[in-house]
Formats: sequence, structure tokens, C-alpha cells
Amino acid sequence: MFRHTPLRIATLVLLGAAAILYGLNAEYFGLEILTEIAILAILVIALDMVAGFGGMVSLFHGALMGIGAYGFTLLATKAGVAPLPAMIGAMALGGVVGWIVGAICARTHGIYFIMATLAFGQMAYSYIFESSFFGGDDGLSGAPRLDLSGLGIDLNDSRGFAFFALALLLAAYLAAVAILRSGLGRSVTGILHSEQRMRALGLNVWRVKAAIFGLSGVLAGLAGTLAAQHIMYVSPGLLAWTVSGEALVVVILGGLGTLVGPVVGAAFFVLLKHEVSAHTTHWHLVVGVILIAVVMSRANGIFGWLEARVARWQGRTHAAKTGNLALEGDSDA
Amino acid sequence: MLETRNLDKRFGAIHVTRDVSLKLEKGERRVILGPNGAGKTTLFNQLVGELSSDSGSIHLDGEDVTGLSVAKRARRGLSRSYQKNTLFDGLTIAENLGLAASVAQGHATSLLRDSLSRSEVRETVAEVAAQVDLAPVLDALVSEVSYGIRRQLEVGVALATRPKVILMDEPTSGVGPEMAHGFHKMLNDLPRDLTLLIIEHDMDLAFDVADTITVLNYGEVVFDGLPEAARNSAMLKEIYLGSWEDA
Repeated sequence: MFRHTPLRIATLVLLGAAAILYGLNAEYFGLEILTEIAILAILVIALDMVAGFGGMVSLFHGALMGIGAYGFTLLATKAGVAPLPAMIGAMALGGVVGWIVGAICARTHGIYFIMATLAFGQMAYSYIFESSFFGGDDGLSGAPRLDLSGLGIDLNDSRGFAFFALALLLAAYLAAVAILRSGLGRSVTGILHSEQRMRALGLNVWRVKAAIFGLSGVLAGLAGTLAAQHIMYVSPGLLAWTVSGEALVVVILGGLGTLVGPVVGAAFFVLLKHEVSAHTTHWHLVVGVILIAVVMSRANGIFGWLEARVARWQGRTHAAKTGNLALEGDSDA
Repeated sequence: MLETRNLDKRFGAIHVTRDVSLKLEKGERRVILGPNGAGKTTLFNQLVGELSSDSGSIHLDGEDVTGLSVAKRARRGLSRSYQKNTLFDGLTIAENLGLAASVAQGHATSLLRDSLSRSEVRETVAEVAAQVDLAPVLDALVSEVSYGIRRQLEVGVALATRPKVILMDEPTSGVGPEMAHGFHKMLNDLPRDLTLLIIEHDMDLAFDVADTITVLNYGEVVFDGLPEAARNSAMLKEIYLGSWEDA
């Protein structure tokens, strides 16, 4: 079950404060990094909803983000739809495609689920790559940014766009929390713990899995609309399976099934990438070593490790206060 | 309330259930006995739909449910507990009961509200917790409670759907004599309009709880009758090699 522990709230507040301070003081390059973190964080929140809370490890989420990006760009440039309704339309498209793919893949489990989502992702990538309507491998340019000048916000300014992305990240996080705390979200968690029992209780498991995948698609689509507005250009590379793989790495690095962890993971991943790539082109090697270390440590990512340390510390403090250290030692064993 | 007609199941050359016909009236407590490998759990799996039957039919409250999925049978009032605990281990006892209640009450797919905080779900959780004696440990994580409490929760989760019929697969499996005695009392205290079909090896429980007893041997019904008749049956004594008389 998703729970907002004091540590999670404190982490969110700290991250938010750091992002705001950084956003107010950073120069162009720093603001671009901040925007990149916000977009990746939205995508990994979407992925954590299905992978961390529903046990559905998806390699389709890069494609969902790409579909959101292409949907937005096509609606805004070719159909002449204003950016705001184009964003909503692209998110809805991500939701519908997510629901369809989720509904089909929900019939499978484990490695077969992963492979089915990978296959769908590759199909989407190949189709867009080959299609002249989608601009082929050249992609599509001219994606506009939302016009918030009426509110006194200039999204063509890097700082304005970075804060816009952060605001949408907050909205995406709150939406994910609301979903995971709803009846549907509780059922998804139940399925993660025992799909057999949820079915035996009378739940239409397939329907719940498809629904959560669709909702996750809406958020991944939102990340796509932001990505398109960020660089004002979309290319098939957005749908590549490596994007899905990278998102999965970020979720595992941050802490699967914690929602806060993947946001931490996104910040860590993007900062690490930029720092290490300034010294070597082989930054993936460093990320790989860190990922292996995290997996081998058996901690649930960076945030999971932090939660475990705090829980141990709290346990010791409680045991010391109650004079029950011996018992606490027993339970550790 | 629950009726099977000529249920059959084979796994390759092995004939696991043979021509099983049962009829349970509303409120009846029937215990299914039989040696290991008699086909008891297979029969349960057929009844709830986790295994399809090769032939025969299953009727719940007059409706033929043979072709229905596990979830649809459950929604029609057929609930079960498992021999091997099948719980939501990372969640609390209250959350386990709440999930079951929210599915049964139609809140499990709602996006608008937290199903576990709904008043009707919380009421069910409190009622069931009292029925299965779990009220003092509602906030404990399942992974942190004793095996015996998990067995009680197994039954509690099945009860929280407010079913018409509960199939219990060895509810006292692995618990000590004192706790088993508590189980007998708990089962006897359940509402009398609830139909129970119980697989049990514990003869004490069988004779203490059962209105009727069915004995399966090699997948076949070899006895169907009152506990007194079962106790005096020479054939059943032979099947159970004397453990009968100890009960």
C-alpha cells in the first residue's frame, strides 16, 4: 500500500526546495538539466505505478512517452489545435494506447509481460521510424510551447519552462498518489501481493491491470508533451526501447514501489549522466556499475536503502527507550 | 445452495475426481474427509473455478456456474480459504480484510475514493475481525504475525466478502491443539445461514463442526451422511486405519 511516511514527505520537501532554489539561481545549462530531470521524473512515476505497485515491468513506457510527444506535435502543428488542448489530447492518446497494450499484455506474467511490452514498443518505434506521415527518421519539428503569457509566465524562457515542468511534475506526483490511494490503486497493490487471492475474492484482475496501465499511459503521455515542447522537436528516438530501459534503471536505482524513490533516481541519473559525460563518453559504464552495486546490495534502490537505515535507527531508538535491546537483536537475526 | 453433479477431473492417466455429486443445503456445515491424494483440494479447485472440470456441472443457488470464471463465482457468493496461506503479506491485517470487503462491495475499481477508508468497508473489517478474533492485531503486518494468526486471517479474508458459501481447505492445518480448539469455536459461532464446506484431517474438528460428512477416496465419494454414521462405518475405519476411534 502506498503510504506517505514522514521520511517520504521530508524527502519531497527537500527535493522541492532544492529544485526551486536551483531553478532560481541556475544559468541556461542548469535550467535545461532541471527540465530534463522533471520530464524523466514524470515518466518514471508513470512506470513505478505499474512496475512498483502492480508488478507489471513495462518496456513500453518509452513508446508511451513518444506517442504523447508525437500526438502533441501532430495536433499542434498539423491539425492546428491550440497547445493546451493538444496536450490534453496527447495525454488522452497515451491513456488509450496504454489501456489497449495493458489489456493485451495483462494476460501474461513475468518475463512474458516484459517481452510483450517490448514487442509493442518496437512495433510503435518501427512504424513511426518508417512512416513519412510522422516524418520518418527525421522526426517532426515545430512543436510549440504552451502560451501562459496571460498569467505573466514566459515559457519560451528556460527558467519559466523549467518551473512549468516542475509544476507538472508535482501535479503528476499528486495524481499518482491519488490513483494509488483510490480503490483501483488499492486493488493494484492487492494484485501485486497475491493475484490469485484477488481473483478468488471476485476481482476482475485483467480490468484493473488494463485500467492502471491506461492511467500510467496518461502520465507518460504528459512527459511526452513536455519533451516535445522542451526541444520543440520530436524524433523516433523518443520511442526507442532504450528509453524504456533507462526509465526502468532509474526506477530501480531510486527505489521500486516508493513513488518518491524514482523521483530521487531521476535527479541522480540525470546529474550523474551530465557530470560523468563531461569527463568520458563511457558514462553508461559508471551507471552500470552503480546499478549492479544497488542490485547486489539487496536494498530497494537509493531511497529504499535510506528508508531501511531510518527504520533501523528508529528501531534502535525505540528499543533503547523501552530497554528492549535484546529483543530487537533477536528480530534482526 | 451448492450442488455438484457428476464432476470429473483427470490429469493424464490419473483420475483425480470421479463422478462427484454433492448437495449442500443453505446453512449446512459439511466436512470432507479423505486420505492424502483423495482429490479433496482438486474438488475445491473445481468448485471455485481454479480448475476446469472434464465433465459434470456446478450449481450455486440454483444457477449453473460451471462455465463461470473464478471471479464471477466469487461475486455470486462462493468464497474460499486456502490450505497454504494466500494472503497479502506486505499489508496489515486490516488492509487484508479491507481489500476483500472492498472487492465484494464494489469499491475495488473506484478512482474517486480510497476503498479502505469507506465506512461500510471499515464496518465489515471490524465485524469480521471480531468474528475471527483478530481485533487486537488489526494494525499488525501479516508478515510479522504468527502462523496461527495467519490461519485465522485466511478464514477472515474469505468471510469479509460476505459470501453465501465458504470452502475452507484445512483451516486448522499446522496449528496446535489449543488453537485448533479455538478454531472449532470460531466456526461454530459463525452465522447459521452461512454454508460451510470444509476439508479437514482433524477428526475432532470434523465431528465437532460437521452437520454432515462426505468421504472421498481415490476421487470417489465413498460416504455421504451424518457424523454418527461415519463414526460407526467399518469401511471408513479401514480407510483411516483406526484414527477414527481416537476422535
